[in-house]
Amino acid sequence: MKKLEEYKEDIVDIKKPKERRIFIRVKSENFKKFLSSLIEDLDLRHLSTITGLDTGQEMELLYHFSYKYSVEITIGVKVPKSSPKVPTITDLIPGAIFYEQEIHDLLGIEFEGHPNLGPLIVPEGWPEGVYPLRKEYTVQELNRIARGGK
Amino acid sequence: MVLYEIFGVFVYPGIALLFGLAFLYEWIDRKFFARVQNRMGPLYTGPSGILQPVADFLKLLSKEDIVPASCEKPIFSVIPIVYATLPLIALFVIPITGSALIAFEGDVIFLMFISAFITLSVFLAGWSSAGSFSRIGSIRSALQMLSYEIPFGLALIGPAISAHSLSLTKIAQWQVANSSWFMWLQPIGFAVVLISLLAELELVPFDIPEAETEIVAGWLTEYGGRRLALFRLGKDLELVMASTLVASLYLGGAQPLFFIPPVVILIVKSIVVLMLISFVRALFARFRIDQMTSGMWTYLLPLMIVQILLVQFGIGG
Amino acid sequence: MSYGTTIKVPFGPQHPALKEPEYFLFEVDGDIVVKVTPRIGYVHRGVEKAFEQETYLHNLYLAERICGICSHAHSTCYTQTIEGLIPLEIPPRAVYIRLIMAELERLHSHSLWVGIAAHEAGFDTLFMYLWRDREMIMDLMEEISGNRVTHAINTIGGVRRDITSEQATKIKKFLEKFESNVKEYTKVLESEQTFIKRTKDVGVLKPRDAIVLCAVGPTLRASGIKSDVRADDPYLAYGEIPFNVITHDGCDVYARTIVRCEEMIESANIIRYALDHLPEGKIKVPPPRTIAPNESVGRVEAPRGELIHYARSNGTNKPERYKVRAPTLGNLASVCQTLIGAHVADIPLILAGIDPCFSCMDRVIITKKSV
Repeated sequence: MKKLEEYKEDIVDIKKPKERRIFIRVKSENFKKFLSSLIEDLDLRHLSTITGLDTGQEMELLYHFSYKYSVEITIGVKVPKSSPKVPTITDLIPGAIFYEQEIHDLLGIEFEGHPNLGPLIVPEGWPEGVYPLRKEYTVQELNRIARGGK
Repeated sequence: MVLYEIFGVFVYPGIALLFGLAFLYEWIDRKFFARVQNRMGPLYTGPSGILQPVADFLKLLSKEDIVPASCEKPIFSVIPIVYATLPLIALFVIPITGSALIAFEGDVIFLMFISAFITLSVFLAGWSSAGSFSRIGSIRSALQMLSYEIPFGLALIGPAISAHSLSLTKIAQWQVANSSWFMWLQPIGFAVVLISLLAELELVPFDIPEAETEIVAGWLTEYGGRRLALFRLGKDLELVMASTLVASLYLGGAQPLFFIPPVVILIVKSIVVLMLISFVRALFARFRIDQMTSGMWTYLLPLMIVQILLVQFGIGG
Repeated sequence: MSYGTTIKVPFGPQHPALKEPEYFLFEVDGDIVVKVTPRIGYVHRGVEKAFEQETYLHNLYLAERICGICSHAHSTCYTQTIEGLIPLEIPPRAVYIRLIMAELERLHSHSLWVGIAAHEAGFDTLFMYLWRDREMIMDLMEEISGNRVTHAINTIGGVRRDITSEQATKIKKFLEKFESNVKEYTKVLESEQTFIKRTKDVGVLKPRDAIVLCAVGPTLRASGIKSDVRADDPYLAYGEIPFNVITHDGCDVYARTIVRCEEMIESANIIRYALDHLPEGKIKVPPPRTIAPNESVGRVEAPRGELIHYARSNGTNKPERYKVRAPTLGNLASVCQTLIGAHVADIPLILAGIDPCFSCMDRVIITKKSV
């Protein structure tokens, strides 16, 4: 927690709702640099998962790290919807490969430098540019697309 | 006389008896295997499910016949028949009733030839059906044959050397005459013949060519319907062949005892062998093909050579 | 042995070694795997999207149906996450009942897995014995919760059914028998040469790789890393119950088997302790229907490893976003790594080694709800 104070200029917001849970929001500029130095400093090796979510105007990525497998540190970063691009973290944490690929499938966020962003979980023949977890797609519409509509 | 011979070939001790034994042995194997595993096994068809193998066979016969488009059609259709016939022929030379249907000097060699031919037909069955799993399975079965065939052959030769005969009937009679079994005289040979028969029958721990969790059903994958039924029948006959062979080669064969007919004695002995095989099958995990081949060459073959040398120096018969 | 060129061997979506549909493309050089490309998603049911359509209470039953084997782990994680959103404290008796169910579930899941591992190695007898014992657990869980698979015992704010004292004695009696059986099986596995030959040094995942590739659960612990959400981030009553985190230095499939066997014994001890210290009192408190904007992360040690749920509320009675990450997805990267350099014959064993639950792993895309 103390170490987090050192990164004041990058951090927008810190919350600590209960024991062993920390939520951090950071600026999207220099995100990669911030993350790599944080990983270095805190020895954050275990990435539990990455959550991608659509907040309407923009999208958000939440990196759930666990510090010594104990404290869950969630690092949130905003991604503009017009050009959804973030640098990959697979070079820092190789285990992130499938999490990033999954988010690319579902939300269409481009991870720059990711080794393989091919389809992982969308079905074969899924139309390009349809990202089911974005809010503009309703369940009804997705059902229609899945049955070969559109 | 001719009628008697026809009766011999088709009814007793020929095809009818052997088919009956085949189904009976499959039932014993399944039931015993299931009981070892704390299951019930076949239960509903006939008393204690004794007719289940027959029912399975008939059901398979009535199934649709599917031939894969890319298979080698002539071989694909002939091999099931060949596979079911080969163990039947082998059984004709085994003295089930005390004397074999066809007995001649050198039938041990003939038996070795048949057993090699069975594996060859397995290889052809897998290769001709042209599926990827079948191909892997057939290659594995060929590899397996390369490793168990020599110890198996030597294990057949051991008793032959002692009995000064290459005829199964004479070897069995030698044991009766000397009232001692080769199982006690040549224990290493007995162990080796059991292990290599497990490999020949493709049973755990050597069910590598048809390892279910790895390659579906191996060389059998593409077969269904009546072809599969023939393969199943062939497998059952092989089981009979293996157990009666061990019984007559190492357990004294069909020796008469009081008023009990020799054929009953042999069947009882071979059922004991069968249960031994089922028991081993329940106790082990499957080897990998490379472990199996190297194990056979490094342990089984030298052991068997030692056994043969012992026999040559007059120890063990 | 190298032939210079590689052959592509498809594995799945239908394959007897995988009980669930998933596809892996192997590039094989001779008998050695050189490259693995997974293609998951054959059993997507659109759970994450569906979560956004339903109320919190409805979603509880949806969460339970993410996985057939670790259904209680998912619903525990769901309730933990939602109770973190509100926030809500649940009565201590409910905490203990949830914990007992979770450990019973771990027993049944681990015995299922060890059975499967034996089956993959061609050791069917052990498979039959373990699954016979597993049936007893299923019956026990049915008696407690009313259901064999989706127990539906959790609810937001507590549990729906109490454990009576007769049930408690029944569980204890069962545990005694089960424990001695498991010890017996462990002995068999430790001494059975054919099984050891098939699993030792197969699918080696070095501790360093296990950390870097974010492996979780028994896979991680079998690589010698002492990590268990129950101990590191105690939820329910795990902070109050003494237990050991089992690790093994083997790093191979054999180690994963032994870790799971020993964890079963440990789980039995946990259940016994929890039954002895079961607090009295209410079993549930009523939750509010709408939840103010908030976010929460729930972590549970499912039988397969760390399970993590993330929820964000928006002031209505439906969540804004609900994210599920099942342990199998966490282990996918590490299993792809360990498969490289393996024999083709070892693929099923290594794949099974992480205890894959692909239905858990695939969640999102299309709901099969009628339009």
